[in-house]
Amino acid sequence: MVAGRDLRDAAGDLRLALAMVGLAAAIPIAAGTGIRALAYFGGGLSPVVERMSIVGAFFVVFLPASYTLVLALESFVGERERSTLEVLLSTPLREAEIYVGKVAAVLSVSLVLCFGALIAYCAVTFPGLGYFPIGILVSLAIATISQVAAMVAGAVIVSANARTMRAANVMASFIILPMSVVLQVEAGLILIGRGEFLWAFAAAMAVAAVILLRMGLGGFSREALLAREVGGKGLARRAARATATAFRQAPAGRSLVRARWLPILLSALAFPVGAGLGYLGAGPLSHKWGSDIAGAIGGPSHRDLAGAALSIFAGDLLAVLIAGLLAALTLGFTGYLITGVPGALLGYAAALSSWPVALAADFPHLLIHLPVAAVAGGLAIQIGASVIHMEPDGGWLARVVTAQAALARALLWLVPLLAAGALLQALSTR
Amino acid sequence: MLEVEGLSKQYGQVVAVRDLSLSVRSGTALVLLGQNGAGKTTALRCFAAILKPTLGRVLVDGVDTREDADGARARVGLVPEVPGLYERMSAGAYLDYFGRVQGVDAATRSRTIGALLELFGLAEAGDRWLGTFSKGMRQKVALIRATIHRPRLILADEPTSALDPDSARIVWGYLEDLRSQGSALVVCTHNMEEAQALGGEIGIMMGGRLLAAGGFGALVSAAGLQRRREMVERPTLEEVYLAIVNRESELAARPA
Repeated sequence: MVAGRDLRDAAGDLRLALAMVGLAAAIPIAAGTGIRALAYFGGGLSPVVERMSIVGAFFVVFLPASYTLVLALESFVGERERSTLEVLLSTPLREAEIYVGKVAAVLSVSLVLCFGALIAYCAVTFPGLGYFPIGILVSLAIATISQVAAMVAGAVIVSANARTMRAANVMASFIILPMSVVLQVEAGLILIGRGEFLWAFAAAMAVAAVILLRMGLGGFSREALLAREVGGKGLARRAARATATAFRQAPAGRSLVRARWLPILLSALAFPVGAGLGYLGAGPLSHKWGSDIAGAIGGPSHRDLAGAALSIFAGDLLAVLIAGLLAALTLGFTGYLITGVPGALLGYAAALSSWPVALAADFPHLLIHLPVAAVAGGLAIQIGASVIHMEPDGGWLARVVTAQAALARALLWLVPLLAAGALLQALSTR
Repeated sequence: MLEVEGLSKQYGQVVAVRDLSLSVRSGTALVLLGQNGAGKTTALRCFAAILKPTLGRVLVDGVDTREDADGARARVGLVPEVPGLYERMSAGAYLDYFGRVQGVDAATRSRTIGALLELFGLAEAGDRWLGTFSKGMRQKVALIRATIHRPRLILADEPTSALDPDSARIVWGYLEDLRSQGSALVVCTHNMEEAQALGGEIGIMMGGRLLAAGGFGALVSAAGLQRRREMVERPTLEEVYLAIVNRESELAARPA
């Protein structure tokens, strides 16, 4: 019911509807005509025309998705600004019905426009061209569904959390900019003729869409929407208070390891997985890289003990800090990388020599560094998990800050351990 | 019909309602008076099961809003201070939509919407977009929307603030009808005459607390006015209200 009403409302705004349909039709026709002109004046079908025709398909599909974002951004904050939100929330509709209805309405408009644009583009571009890349177009169509779903789900989260449309528009940059980067990478892959990677992008976008939809549904509540009208002020003060509380209450030492055993275990498991991948991937990689990697495993080239230890320590500390700082942005992925990458390097070195040789070269370092990296990585995974977890009662900011505080407090004992590991490694390689 | 026990509602550090207890029986009315920010709207939202109590509980027709909020909302009709209409819908389509949301069957919807549009003088405007409606017309549509499913509890925040006296009379008459049919009524208003005319109990709120509640006589006693003025002239509700609120302000200003 909510979706039906929203769809009628969107269609009822004739200027908006005409602008969207007009752009969804005009841009593909113009782009398709351009490709045909390129083929005509460039002497027929060529690799450049082939690849440009696919890149064009990407852009004509992405554009309707980007401007239908306005509808998604408006879904809740628009109701708030028009004072219709309280009425909607006072109905017996369940929260999931309201949320899913809003997402479904925008998603259906977006998909109709995206696929309409794609069909218009294909109808203008490919007839008589002697080229129809059905495989890539199918992967593009599937990637589009995932991409649009991720964008819409993200925009509806923004809309439910923003207090004004202006704030929602500003926050939409966090959706449009990463999507633009994804689109450019996809276009780059097509231009270098590696269209098969599009399937991986489609899968990644599908995962992102599922995560965002789950986040939005998990964090959606009448309470949170209306509380925002009252409790939205003093964000900086609230963040400062949450930070102070988080640092005061963050567990440390053994209690921290007990409390976060699962993400720490996951991070630790990334090491053997990385080692296996490094070992298996040794074949396809060049031996030039191999010598560099082997050099890295073998330790630094400093002759004096202090210089060598300091160099190892600086590298390890930098890895931990980067993993922590980027944990929120990468949704905890750096927590796997911090153990997975050393594992991959070790596996690669083992493939070039043997497991005993590779392990012997790095053993003293790994003895201390690996547990430290697993703890830091586990806490980084926890940060990522807190970023993608929303609850009806709110408290997202407090949970993210608490997860970051746990890592920051853990550094008090992790850093000395890193120094000890670096010293041990420097001593063993002298 | 509405039972409120020790209700408190807190947003972060802001306590909007504190320790509110009251009861409104079927077929009776309660008028809530109070300054802006007294906690009336938050209290109504808690009664309407839109907000969960931080402490205490709210029972609507025996349904605990914390345990079955959807069920409680189905028994409530809320008329918020701002009508909040979808402007690109016609009045008929809008009311039909909310009737469907409330689970009213098609035949009843059609009959009720037609009759209520007629009653409020909106029959001719039923096909017009709500965006073209005047403030008073919007308020009437909001009232029809809130009562289309014949709720057991009607919560109205300033239901006649934008209406001319004639329209206000029709609205009060309609609410009175619903009350006589068994609905309970909670109304927030600043209009003392209307509050007194409604003839139910009156509650005075300030700083999230219910300072006094009861019939007019009980409020006069609570205000301490009867001894002084009873023999000369009967105090007005406005005088009673101001006496209670001012005494509370003085108490709050006094050093502990």
